[in-house]
Amino acid sequence: MNQMTNVNPDSQSPMLRVKNLTHRVSVETDTLTILQGVSLEINRGESVAIVGRSGSGKTTLLGLLAGLDTPSEGTVELDGAVISKLSEDERARLRAHRVGFVFQSFQLLPALTALENVMLPLELSGMAAPEKRARELLERVGLGERLIHTPRQLSGGEQQRVAIARAFASDPLILFADEPTGNLDNRTGQAVSDLLMALNREQGATLVMVTHDEYLAARCNRQFHIEAGVLTEPDAAQKVAH
Amino acid sequence: MAATKKLMSVRRDWRERDVRVVLAALMIAVATVATIALFASQLQRTLVTSASSFLAADRQLEAENGRPIPQTWLQEASDQGLATGRMVEFSTMVFGADNFQLVSVKAVSNEYPLRGDIEIQRDPSGARELVNQGPRPGEVWINPRLLRLLDLKIGESLEVGNLNLTVSGLLIREPDGGFQLSALAPRVMMHQDDVSATGVIQEGSRVEYVYLFAGDEASLESYYQWLRPRLEPGHEWKGVRDGETLSRSLERAEQFLLLGGSLAVMLAAVAVAVASRQYALSQRDAVALLKTLGLNGAGISGLYLGRLALWGVTGIVGGLLVAIPLYWLLIRMLSEVLERPVDFQLDPAALVPALLTALVSLFAFAYPPVRRLRNVPAMRVLRSQPGETGREALPDIIIAIVAVFGLVWMYAGELALVVSLLGGLVLLLGALGLAGWLLVATLRKVRGGGNAWRLALAGLYRHRRASLSQIAVFAMTLMLAATLILVRTSLLADWQAQLPGDAPNHFLINIAPEAVDDVDAFWRKRGQPLDKLYPMVRGRLTELNGQPVKETVSNGESINALNRELNLTWISTLPEDNEIVEGSWFDKNQKNGVSVEAELAGKLGLSLGDKLTFTIGSRRVTEAVTSIRTVQWDSMKPNFYMAFPPEGGLTDMPATWITSFYLPRDQKNALNEFSRRFPTVSVLEIDQVIERIQAIVRQVTQAIEAILALILAAALVVLAAVVSATLHDRQREGALLRTLGGRQSLLVRSTMLEFALLGGFAGLLGVVAAEAAVWALQFRMFDGAFQWHWHVVLSIPLVSAVVLALFGRWQLRPVLSVSPMLLLRRLE
Repeated sequence: MNQMTNVNPDSQSPMLRVKNLTHRVSVETDTLTILQGVSLEINRGESVAIVGRSGSGKTTLLGLLAGLDTPSEGTVELDGAVISKLSEDERARLRAHRVGFVFQSFQLLPALTALENVMLPLELSGMAAPEKRARELLERVGLGERLIHTPRQLSGGEQQRVAIARAFASDPLILFADEPTGNLDNRTGQAVSDLLMALNREQGATLVMVTHDEYLAARCNRQFHIEAGVLTEPDAAQKVAH
Repeated sequence: MAATKKLMSVRRDWRERDVRVVLAALMIAVATVATIALFASQLQRTLVTSASSFLAADRQLEAENGRPIPQTWLQEASDQGLATGRMVEFSTMVFGADNFQLVSVKAVSNEYPLRGDIEIQRDPSGARELVNQGPRPGEVWINPRLLRLLDLKIGESLEVGNLNLTVSGLLIREPDGGFQLSALAPRVMMHQDDVSATGVIQEGSRVEYVYLFAGDEASLESYYQWLRPRLEPGHEWKGVRDGETLSRSLERAEQFLLLGGSLAVMLAAVAVAVASRQYALSQRDAVALLKTLGLNGAGISGLYLGRLALWGVTGIVGGLLVAIPLYWLLIRMLSEVLERPVDFQLDPAALVPALLTALVSLFAFAYPPVRRLRNVPAMRVLRSQPGETGREALPDIIIAIVAVFGLVWMYAGELALVVSLLGGLVLLLGALGLAGWLLVATLRKVRGGGNAWRLALAGLYRHRRASLSQIAVFAMTLMLAATLILVRTSLLADWQAQLPGDAPNHFLINIAPEAVDDVDAFWRKRGQPLDKLYPMVRGRLTELNGQPVKETVSNGESINALNRELNLTWISTLPEDNEIVEGSWFDKNQKNGVSVEAELAGKLGLSLGDKLTFTIGSRRVTEAVTSIRTVQWDSMKPNFYMAFPPEGGLTDMPATWITSFYLPRDQKNALNEFSRRFPTVSVLEIDQVIERIQAIVRQVTQAIEAILALILAAALVVLAAVVSATLHDRQREGALLRTLGGRQSLLVRSTMLEFALLGGFAGLLGVVAAEAAVWALQFRMFDGAFQWHWHVVLSIPLVSAVVLALFGRWQLRPVLSVSPMLLLRRLE
């Protein structure tokens, strides 16, 4: 059940609205600016790729957009809720109900089976019959036969498919993916990205993805480039807000 | 099973190495503390019963003044819930067949003995049996030697005064067979109701009335408070714990148990702290993920608190499952040593410290690092975040120190012990840290040796932070274990030295001066030479600096030594086991002065130069105190409060001689011949007493060994906890080295070398620290002289190096047994 409806006044508003986002970190005696004046809007159901070189700030941006961290300046508004105004616990609740994640290194809990890994977010969001939903999703990603296998017994591609099933388990409104094919070979990576895009379409979720993979980036509705902490949208400069 | 429940399942946890270490440490802590507490409480009961049986009661009231105590005193004892019994002791001639003999009679009431058993034989060839009541009226039990001396047989009659009593048994051992000077002649035990019919006790006879009391400590104490103001000179209230031969050994055994228990608690706490910190570090990724998936801080805390609670229950149950059989084994052992059944009694009060230890270890040592997990940033799922700084752990360390303090205090109940152990530890950790840092700093510069050496030294340097904390924890663990080994060694050596196998077990008393040479020759001829012979003069201390001593000294009335005749002697050389604490021993030609025993001197407030006046018969001797010396009362040799120089104040006083010597059991028949040849010399047989003390010392020793084994197990768990802290890194490095072409043998040698260096160095630091701690403890608790234990100092670092090298080799197994690729993937 969605407990956050009180902070979602307008379903027509953008899914994600970012204004003047700046992020700095202290390194010993110095302060590094990782992101500078980033602003963007992402509409519901859009798929967006953020591309950039290593160290350009794209993972930091993803963390801030997803509410895993809070910015030094500026605001992130996710589904109508201003993330920086929420407490840590409120952010956790927001993630539990509206956000899904796919990571480069899969991030499955090694002690749990594939099925249990997918059930975990469902249990955390208080869903009634988590196992049924988890089974359906694992069958959907083609792992119906591997339910009781632990991550160690699965290949990289299979692990990422479990992670995708987990990401969609709680019907997120928005999915954040951090280099989802980064640890996979080309063919497996392609299969995984096909699956990710297909599921995203089926679920109608918004997808925000950080990637090196140009093939994958090209399949998204919009592409952003990030360099030295500055974000640009080359193909649709008119959409970039200030 | 639901995923979140599974996250909290102990069965799943058990698959994680750090959790296994925490659980093992908890179990060992609970097992050790429970076993020690259960056994100590049982030992306490047993020892007090054994020792109480030296009195045949918990307390004795002796009336040496020849008058029975008022009936109302006994009535009051009964009213206060105490069991009472009575006996009368006197000397008389008895007649049997055609012979007569001076004997020492003990006439006992039905209640005798209140504690312990009497060992008798129904006939000389029959089996010995333990009974808990004296002879019935009309019957008498006699010492086997008396049977031979009088040429009597069982069933014949013995004439005591006007009464004929039937000899119905041989008296082998009395529970209160101490060695008071009154019990010189062979013993005869009869019923108290027969005493008046013998007509032996007349007005002015030398009779000692003894009253027995037994009950709980509180009632005994309250009764004594009631009784104390009523006691007269000549009355002596005796407890197990004061002035008894065993008391020092008992106290030390108790201290040792407490020390062992405290060390076990500390070791377990260290293991729990190290392993749970390691566990918490390993959980950071999982926590970040759970947060990303929407679990809030309270949820994280709840998850891990639930888990700690489960660990606690598992640790307690598991620990008790180990403790109870172990305790049962110890009880079996104890009952074998004592040759009598000992109750298997689970004292619930003794389990409380174990439960508290588990809870405190869990919440003061395991919880703090786990509590901080809720602060792990969710961002960690995307990028590794800086780890904890030492500052965050500072409050934990303070909580931990307070908790250890509290636990050890609760457990040992000795602030001095807590302060000396913990103070020592804190100081030592500082020193250890410094020494370790210096070692690592020099490692950077050390080069040379084969490849394995280079790799090992580089390994130590690379893991310098981990190496340093490992050295510190190891050194501390080894210090605690070594402390216990050292204390045990010196304790046992001390006990053995106190009562060697050939300790004198017979006294000869009342040897006339002209018979001394003959007596000496008699035993020399039989291969049992006498220990030193001492002249003995009986006299009272009556005046101090010209004033009546009882008036001059506060509490003078209650000092036993002032209420009775003292044994005075003269000697030229200081007995070996005496030690001068003030003044100096007599010069070669010195003819005046007196040397006083230190404890009595303290009670009387004597200082050098004080003038003591003794009344010996009708004569008076006054001498100044020239030295004060300590005496080993439990040495089983003649000991004296007052010693004069030869040709000093006592020379022309009527003296008899006293000596002690060792007589093996199979030569006891020689005593009969001796008694016939020297009828006036009294023989005091204390061999039974010594055997019983030795049995008790054996039993305590075994308990100590068992506890030491538990402590060493705790130390091994600490070892496992500490080594596992860097296991992951080491395995990864090993796999990488193999991938890069390192041979297995090189890997094995360098790892073993690295661990051996770590173990050897920690062992050296630990053992030196242990020697320092033992030095302090010797003074504080065990009042023994300190000496270096070279074999321990050398062997502990060696053993520690070897054990650690093997442990390192064992840790390396997965790196060697699977392909490097598979391993690297597993370690991802």
